[in-house]
Amino acid sequence: MVSAIVLMPLLGCLLAGLFAKSLGERMAQLIPTGLLIASAILSWIVFANGNTADPEIVTWFTWFSSGGLEVVWSLRVDTLTRVMLVVVTSVSALVHVYSMGYMEHDPSKPRFFSYLSLFTFAMLMLVTSDNFVQMFFGWEGVGVASYLLIGFWHHKDSANEAAMKAFIVNRVGDFGFALGIFGIFAVFGSLSFDTVFEALPEMAGSTFMFLGWEMDILNTLGMLLFIGAMGKSAQFLLHTWLPDAMEGPTPVSALIHAATMVTAGVFLVCRMSPLYELADGASTFITYIGAFTAFFAATVGLVQNDIKRIVAYSTCSQLGYMFFAAGVGAYEAAMFHLFTHAFFKALLFLGCGSVIHALHDEQDIRKMGGMWSIIPLTYLLMVVGTMALTGVPPFAGYFSKDMVIEAAHSAHTNAGLFAFWVGVIVAMMTAFYSWRLIFLVFHGERNNTPEVYKAAHESPKIMLIPMGILFIGSILAGIFFNYIFIGDGAHDFWGNSIAGGQHIIHEAHHSPTWVKKAPFFAMLIGSGMALWIYIARPGMADKIRESAGVAYDFLLNKWYMDELYNWIFVKPAMWVGRFFWMKGDGATIDGAINGLSMGVIPTLTGFYGRLQSGYVFHYALAMIGGVALIIAVASTGGH
Amino acid sequence: METLNLLAAGPELILAAGAIILLMFGVFTKGESAAVTTLWLAVGVLVLAGIFAYAQTGDTEYAFGGVFVSDGVSRFANVFMFFGSAVVLILSRDYMIRAKSMLFEFPVLVLFAVLGMAMMVSSADLISLYVGLELQSLSLYVLAAFRRDSTRSTEAGLKYFVLGALSSGLLLYGSSFVYGYAGSTEFVAIAERLKDGDAGVGFLIGLALVIAGLAFKISAAPFHMWTPDVYEGAPTPITAFFATAPKVAASVLLVRVLYGAFGEVADHWWQIIWFLSAASMLVGGVAAIGQTDIKRLMAYSSIGHMGFAMLGLAAGTAKGAESVLIYLAIYLVMNIGVFAFILSMRRDGVHVTKIDDLAGLWKADGLSTFCLGVLMFSLAGIPPLAGFWAKFYVFQAAVDAGLIWLLIVAVAGTVISCFYYLRIVKIMVFDDPADAFDGPMLIENRLTLFGSAVLVFIFVVGGLGVPEMAAEAASVFAK
Amino acid sequence: MDAFLLEYLPILIFMGIAIALGLVFILAAAIAAPSNPDAEKVSAYECGFNAFDDARMKFDVRFYLVAILFIIFDLEAAFLFPWAASFGQIGMFGFWSMMVFLGVLTIGFIYEWRKGALDWE
Repeated sequence: MVSAIVLMPLLGCLLAGLFAKSLGERMAQLIPTGLLIASAILSWIVFANGNTADPEIVTWFTWFSSGGLEVVWSLRVDTLTRVMLVVVTSVSALVHVYSMGYMEHDPSKPRFFSYLSLFTFAMLMLVTSDNFVQMFFGWEGVGVASYLLIGFWHHKDSANEAAMKAFIVNRVGDFGFALGIFGIFAVFGSLSFDTVFEALPEMAGSTFMFLGWEMDILNTLGMLLFIGAMGKSAQFLLHTWLPDAMEGPTPVSALIHAATMVTAGVFLVCRMSPLYELADGASTFITYIGAFTAFFAATVGLVQNDIKRIVAYSTCSQLGYMFFAAGVGAYEAAMFHLFTHAFFKALLFLGCGSVIHALHDEQDIRKMGGMWSIIPLTYLLMVVGTMALTGVPPFAGYFSKDMVIEAAHSAHTNAGLFAFWVGVIVAMMTAFYSWRLIFLVFHGERNNTPEVYKAAHESPKIMLIPMGILFIGSILAGIFFNYIFIGDGAHDFWGNSIAGGQHIIHEAHHSPTWVKKAPFFAMLIGSGMALWIYIARPGMADKIRESAGVAYDFLLNKWYMDELYNWIFVKPAMWVGRFFWMKGDGATIDGAINGLSMGVIPTLTGFYGRLQSGYVFHYALAMIGGVALIIAVASTGGH
Repeated sequence: METLNLLAAGPELILAAGAIILLMFGVFTKGESAAVTTLWLAVGVLVLAGIFAYAQTGDTEYAFGGVFVSDGVSRFANVFMFFGSAVVLILSRDYMIRAKSMLFEFPVLVLFAVLGMAMMVSSADLISLYVGLELQSLSLYVLAAFRRDSTRSTEAGLKYFVLGALSSGLLLYGSSFVYGYAGSTEFVAIAERLKDGDAGVGFLIGLALVIAGLAFKISAAPFHMWTPDVYEGAPTPITAFFATAPKVAASVLLVRVLYGAFGEVADHWWQIIWFLSAASMLVGGVAAIGQTDIKRLMAYSSIGHMGFAMLGLAAGTAKGAESVLIYLAIYLVMNIGVFAFILSMRRDGVHVTKIDDLAGLWKADGLSTFCLGVLMFSLAGIPPLAGFWAKFYVFQAAVDAGLIWLLIVAVAGTVISCFYYLRIVKIMVFDDPADAFDGPMLIENRLTLFGSAVLVFIFVVGGLGVPEMAAEAASVFAK
Repeated sequence: MDAFLLEYLPILIFMGIAIALGLVFILAAAIAAPSNPDAEKVSAYECGFNAFDDARMKFDVRFYLVAILFIIFDLEAAFLFPWAASFGQIGMFGFWSMMVFLGVLTIGFIYEWRKGALDWE
């Protein structure tokens, strides 16, 4: 059954990609979508029937075995995997359906659906992997699919650049991840999760020497793996690709850059929980990076004007939440937030898509406003999504985000305390920028030409239905699932899939009351400020902007991170590249190769052509010469 | 050992009986349709023998008083040769009918040739080796000259015959030396004799001559000169046949002789193989670049590939033998696919074989171009296709044996050969289209091409079990 | 003279007899036969061709065919002699081996007959 879940998207990808012509455009959309819906239904069945005992392993076949390294294609199904299966296939199926409406006017629909299914397949391989190599396969697979999808409109230069940026930044992370895998093989002699996890306790505290520094093995491995996670999950320093990735079609943003791929890093950390439980240094690092990312992204999100970029920074910020939760040891809380976030963030993205669709590809929120009466359904859906995101009880985000913040407090470490305060402040900012988006888009004056508003229309049913399902999820996911994810049912639910034994979340349930209330009030303050600035006092935003000049520019330009990278990395890299291209490649290598291939080889070929005369006696002579030669060779040889 | 043990030679007996019966069937019927029936029956016989060979398991068994052996290696080779030949026969049908050469002797001769090959790979004695080799060669001489109305075909047959006779002479001469010094023609006895003491120089001459005789059959440089002329002149289906099963048979025979009989003196013969391998890889690469005819190109391609296969042989280890078997299996599949395409190159009813005829094929037939492109990439050894893995295994065996210089030659050979394989892809995809080929491709050609491309593509998934089969087969050579 | 070389003694005797016999016949012909030569009689005879002529002349391929077919049966006879001589020792196995051999040969014979290789016209 799990094999079917994983392989059906691949089948859809191949059918839509290779046989689009013979299937027809309609079937090339329906088949992958249908397969994914089936896959999603099966996932929910697997989720519901899951047992919490040992992981269920489905072995396909041995990939390769070389020396001590044996890599087997097999699927590992435990609670962690089941949660991810449900998230990935559900959101993917809904996005497939949504795309049938959203991409209606696009000429290359089969290609789009093929890529979407390919992505889903790779993501499923990632979450079901039973060893590091297979995980790396899925990891790189989602990277490729993401590259293809971001650059889907390849006639747009900006899309191509964004795709390359995403790929290259991820390369940095993947390098760390790959080093981590090498390190694990070097230390444990195996790449299978079970073997490695079993051997972990023996390695706790042992060290190795690197350039004269004594370093803890597990911390080092943990850091390397986390660098991979940082790249994929757009954490601070490696986050720059995510906002640019919004160049892709909006359903892609919803699927990849909100609900699934970017959460792969969180999944990795949770999957590696046995390792991080023993690696305090690495966990602390994760906590700080997560908290800082949450803060950084939220500040930038406050002032952006592109509707999708706001949501993208929001995603980045929420991923920070998940990471610091995992960093303090509340993996369950991280996974729960991942789970709920998938619903409401996908809903928000699809809602953005609906707005953009209605306004014929307008993405600047300054050119919107007053949309609520035109697209009331989208409005309703987005408001609910926003409430879930900001943590209004009893919507989904309320349960998970509060848990994350409380867990940070309960860790009783400096890092945890830092994360807690950042979490509270960011909750406020989240509320602010989320409502700012809603108010600017749906309320206030109509800031675009009347023609545009006249042409604006509500999205078709095929787009609204998937949003409706996510809408239900955003409302109910928290209420329904908080008991098993982070409540008293957590112990039975997670079983052995997560190490650490839930002590953090148990403690979090007994946090002081002020800790429990803090995020809620922070949310209220943030929402209130948004209401005040954008609804009650129109024009006030401009005043603030003018008075805050430098700070505003700093945020608007994303802390100048792109410029900084451009200056530190891109320019020198370009320079080095150009140097090697002109001098190294052009003069040295091309010169040598051209000399060989244009000069020496054709001469040899011509010479050989004369030998091959067509006369039997020449051939016979060559044979006799050959015999003489090999007899000579044979008799010179020997011991 | 002194028993008949006919069951061990089951596949060979099926082939022999089938060939004889079909000969009688053919000679008592008339007309082209009867010949086509003979062809299908021959395919049936090959498949039957192939299933029998595949079903043979268990220990090494000797038959006919110890001159014939049935073990993992012979079974491995048999399965690939039988099924490969069956596919080539199926592909030949249309061509032979168009060329008005669809005579019933054609499938019968193929059966006899395959019987000879099966004898070769199962031989455990210099005499049975020679009988198998000659049965194969004589059939192939006739096949090469099968189109009697074509001077090129006749010339090809005659050249092949004259040079083949020379090589047989070398082989026999060498065998007599070996017999003289070892006192027996049985491989086991020769190996036993070599254990006792140092081999004399006369023995080494015998060894070198035997290798030279076999090198001719696998067209290793410098015994390769016949190959391009014969490949070009022979009717294309027969070229396809030449390029596939006989190469497997002769290579496996070489493995068997060198490992089985002369395993004790590996430090003498590895240098010979080293030299043949290096020369073949370079000749195969350099000479192919200047070719304009795709059949000649495939001839040089096969020379080069045999060089790579011998790379594993030069390692002289059981792992080397294993890598050779894997290489041959992959080589067979790739070549059948390519020839399935070449056989369908027809324009205005005339079979064409110029490389330029492929220009711009991409626009006319995307799928075929893609499949052929995959096969070309695979022949060039581009990962992750099967051709890469074939090279990977032999390179690995060579690395383990420390053959660094030969590896450097091999890498150079690979790089050079990439050029002409990729040139074909370039011509197909980027050049201005030439006139389209006739009609749609026949279903059997299309299926074979597609199937071969798919196999090459999915080989990366666990090697489709081939490496395991080869490892089991080659375990007979483990010391 | 060691025992090894002694084994070859019969061959030596055989060769001696052959040479002697050959000489006897030639000498006997030279002494006893009537000698009455003419131009046709002294010219060398070879398969109906002139002995001294262009080597690249055309000749009927059927001569070639007959010669090849002859060789097969020639070899068959050469194989049958030792078989017959040792028949007592080789038993049923030997008998059936030869039968299979003859059977295969007969198949070939039937083939050439059907193909018309034996018809001169």
